[in-house]
Amino acid sequence: MKIVFCGVGALGSTAAMLCRSLGAELVFIDFDRVETKNLAAQAFVKQSLGKNKAEALKLQLQNFYGLKCEAFGVRIESTNVEVLCQSADLLVDCFDNAQSRKLLSDYARRAQKKLVHAALAADGSFGLVRWDGNFVPDPEDVAGQATCEGGAHLPFIGLLSASLARVIQDYVSKKAEHEVMVSLNGASWT
Amino acid sequence: MATLNITYNGTSADYPGQVPAELSDHEIKRMAAEVVQNGEIKGLWLKHLPRSAFDGFVVDRIHSAHGGLRIYLRPKVPFGA
Repeated sequence: MKIVFCGVGALGSTAAMLCRSLGAELVFIDFDRVETKNLAAQAFVKQSLGKNKAEALKLQLQNFYGLKCEAFGVRIESTNVEVLCQSADLLVDCFDNAQSRKLLSDYARRAQKKLVHAALAADGSFGLVRWDGNFVPDPEDVAGQATCEGGAHLPFIGLLSASLARVIQDYVSKKAEHEVMVSLNGASWT
Repeated sequence: MATLNITYNGTSADYPGQVPAELSDHEIKRMAAEVVQNGEIKGLWLKHLPRSAFDGFVVDRIHSAHGGLRIYLRPKVPFGA
């Protein structure tokens, strides 16, 4: 099974690390580079600074765990979404903006691809894992609104990422499509 | 009828009764502010919650895998990274 992670920032990189034992083929797509501030809340290590995030995650999984993954250091757009995603058995949306989420959702519906979304509130107190049929992207309150970049939200990002990884695991092993809502008082199936 | 779940300030809880499924988003937000102020939801009692507390929130209506409609009133979740 090929799992394509679209966006490997806080949620995507952390969930991907937790999916390393699934026996699935992992693919990462992200145009961004690892900056010092990312080390506080994303799964990247100091040696990855300056590298493309998708490439860095691929190298970390290869160097630390001997896992072979694929990486595409590009921005997903309407012109390349099909080429990048057509071989996916499962798409995982961890983008940080509504426009990219919608682009991916539109493609998944058109191509009849399975797509699961993970999304986090700005204050790091609430998050969701939902399948595409139940998901509508929320716009930012203000365009370019700061994301959860500091380390303050790392435990919550870990909790939400683990929930996403578990949903992916249940899909890989049983084709189950669970959904999870995570708040500060726990995670619950919805 | 539907089950209403409210998430505010990192705490999530179900309203103990059922609510009419046909309530509008605006009516759900108004009702939620009232029941949270009145302490009708265990673990989510905020006496001085402003009436406008849920203005920027999102209402999701989802048919549960176990049957029945669930209405979720929740903060926006714009981010993945």
